[in-house]
Amino acid sequence: MEMKKVLIIGGGGGGLILANHLDTNEYDVTVVDKSDLHFYQPWFLYIAFKGSKRKISRPIGELLKPGANFVKDEISTINLNERKAYGSRKGIYNYDYLAIATGTVPDPDQIPGLRQVYDEYGDYHTSVWNSEKLWSHISKFKGGTIAIGQSSPTCKCPPSLLEGAFLLEEHLRKVGLRDKTRIVFFTPFPRAYPAEPMNKIVEPMVHERGIEVMPFFDVDTIDDQKKTITSLEGESLKYDLPIVVPPCRGTKMKIIPETVQDEDRFIKADKKLMKIEGFDDAFAIGDCNTLPTSKTGVTAHLEAMAVSEIIQGRYSEFNGRINCPFDTAYGKATFVIADYNNPVAPYPPTKVKHMMKMTMARIYWMTLMGTADPIFEQFFKFTTPEKLNKKYASAE
Amino acid sequence: MEAKIIDSRGAACPGPITDLAKAYRNSKVGDILELWATDKGVRADTQAWATKTGNEILEVKEDPDKIVVRIKINKR
Repeated sequence: MEMKKVLIIGGGGGGLILANHLDTNEYDVTVVDKSDLHFYQPWFLYIAFKGSKRKISRPIGELLKPGANFVKDEISTINLNERKAYGSRKGIYNYDYLAIATGTVPDPDQIPGLRQVYDEYGDYHTSVWNSEKLWSHISKFKGGTIAIGQSSPTCKCPPSLLEGAFLLEEHLRKVGLRDKTRIVFFTPFPRAYPAEPMNKIVEPMVHERGIEVMPFFDVDTIDDQKKTITSLEGESLKYDLPIVVPPCRGTKMKIIPETVQDEDRFIKADKKLMKIEGFDDAFAIGDCNTLPTSKTGVTAHLEAMAVSEIIQGRYSEFNGRINCPFDTAYGKATFVIADYNNPVAPYPPTKVKHMMKMTMARIYWMTLMGTADPIFEQFFKFTTPEKLNKKYASAE
Repeated sequence: MEAKIIDSRGAACPGPITDLAKAYRNSKVGDILELWATDKGVRADTQAWATKTGNEILEVKEDPDKIVVRIKINKR
């Protein structure tokens, strides 16, 4: 009998975890990506704010289990009705099951003036190169106002925005520039951290460290000549150094039928099964989909695990679990934990959680291969949002 | 005038505010936006948003399956 073909587009966390959890004796598994390198994106933060030189990329081919194939190609079009994907280098790919895991595409051109700022100063979300560029500005900074924040409410990794502000503050204090610098954190949300229970934990830290917050600040335009950011809500913010995370969009690929994508090109998928709207044999995993949860590595990971089970004929669903490590600087961290049925728990930062975040960065490559699964299973079991809310939310 | 529906049901905080901010970007003075949400935080958050942006909450009503917030865009 011919093996069923599983085509996975995207060699990021979601794509690789799915590939590595499929039985390659039963399925013909192919991962296609336009790049042959995989990056550990959460480390961009430490390149941008600490000048870390750690190597955070590995060849995708080396991260796949034996029997799974990797092809370097850029898919331009997918026809879901005909079960075909069109590569710009190596022709047509047929499939029995398709998983799209292409992440997001930064789109600085959405906001007038942002392109210039993005090209000049970089950011801490989009690439190693942009993070190094930002570090070169931060390390040369001599004092003044730093405006830091996200320019659109649609953004990857919600904690990372404030993590940036916290690490920046720690750096400036360390180099003796804290007294000469005003740090302004702008956000389109009503408060420093969007989810209220976590905001209660971090807002006192924001105040204590003298970080000013401008809530409901949705970036409308940036004028780098006048060094001013203006919000949709009509406020303006003068800066000496701008650190602006650009808006992001879904996939660049053309998908037929085009009704499966929203206006920002994210792919509409079932929130528990990740099946693309109207299709039983096609899935969208991780940042590229419209699931009502955060765009983070852990959701891509858990969605991929569920999809691997579904493809292999076993029942599984994604429960919306998020588990985002949140570095609050000065050697402490917490986790933002919730799921579809339980709100974010007010989980306090500790040194142990910071060690866990740093350990995660080390064992990341094992998580892609699936060899760290037992550790995660235990961790997730002991830190369900129900348990954490019972312990920490009721204590208030 | 017909309201523009923003369906944020099922999205947890800050989902509804994310969707409202997106719709605000594409709106003009005089538009009526109707935000549908299941997250309870939507009441306080939209009130704070309206105060900050100078827009007006016309009505907040609780249906069995959703909270509906009707907003008039006065400033854009």
